[in-house]
Amino acid sequence: MIEYLVFAAVFGLLLLGVHRKVIARIQARPGPPVWQEILHALKFSFKSTWVPRTASATLYVAVVLIGIGIWSAALFVVLAGESILILFAIYMLHKVVEHGYGLSSGSPYAKFGGVRSVISAASEIPLFVTIAAIYLFTGSLILRDITAYQGVHGPLLLIAPPVAIAMYIVILSKMPYGPFSIVESKELVSGYKTEHFGVWRAGLAVTDGLKTFVLLYAFVAIFIGAVPFWAALVIMTAVLISLSFVCAITPMLSPFDSVTVQGIITGLMLVYVGCLWWVMP
Amino acid sequence: MTMKRKTVTYGLAASAIAIAAAWAALAAALIPPWAAATVLVVAFPVLVLFLGLWWRAPGGEEDIPFIGY
Repeated sequence: MIEYLVFAAVFGLLLLGVHRKVIARIQARPGPPVWQEILHALKFSFKSTWVPRTASATLYVAVVLIGIGIWSAALFVVLAGESILILFAIYMLHKVVEHGYGLSSGSPYAKFGGVRSVISAASEIPLFVTIAAIYLFTGSLILRDITAYQGVHGPLLLIAPPVAIAMYIVILSKMPYGPFSIVESKELVSGYKTEHFGVWRAGLAVTDGLKTFVLLYAFVAIFIGAVPFWAALVIMTAVLISLSFVCAITPMLSPFDSVTVQGIITGLMLVYVGCLWWVMP
Repeated sequence: MTMKRKTVTYGLAASAIAIAAAWAALAAALIPPWAAATVLVVAFPVLVLFLGLWWRAPGGEEDIPFIGY
């Protein structure tokens, strides 16, 4: 089973490399090679590493371990076709981990990144509405049941496009260089990641790789259904490239605007789910 | 705070052995998949960090990050 973890982390990092490349080409820059994020992870793992004097050493190291652990668990939940409630609970835990990254080092830049991760919890609210809408259609939150439903009725992407769009925006809010990437924006150096360097940053890169893979794979499973694994990888790459287009042509929002936009999306989704609940038998 | 090389080697070995044991036990149908997954969820992060700490470049002392003017 470790092969799944290694593959997911490496493929996720490759997708993040493709993300950077696509953004660069749209902005008329050559951009880094697509395997740059994999090289970054390796490079950081070889570097000199210590814990800053201002850091809370236990929390500083523990958040890296927890970050990799929760997304490893998320990968197994998705591969086993278990409840998407567990998956999204893990997604919420990641918010706590981001906060821990920010607060553990004692750097004000990282701390602001951690604080922003709390206010950007607004991006998770559409997720709850998404889950409600999925349940209204499929009558289950078990991934196996959701894919079985799609086998009979067709992809949820076509049956309930607003739900897919809401989930798409949730994934967009987790992509680097995107309109909602306020937790690691450049005015905070690298945001909550600023003081995690060397081996700790390599661990963060593995977390990011796993997270990217899991979120895109879950999107394919929930909204397209059961497809061969190679097809899932192709669709994930296509979804990622579309996300890169959005990131390339959209400026980063201010924290206030980011939360406002997410709030509006949540409101629209609530109206949609309310209508569904009203009209569905 | 720096970890001794011996401690890092022990941590790396322990996580690698745990993962190998879970893989072997699953292959022999001695444990269910969820048990093997649980072992991996705990041991994989340890393996990643200790592997990095094991082969990282030597040197480096704790310092105070930039905390503003």
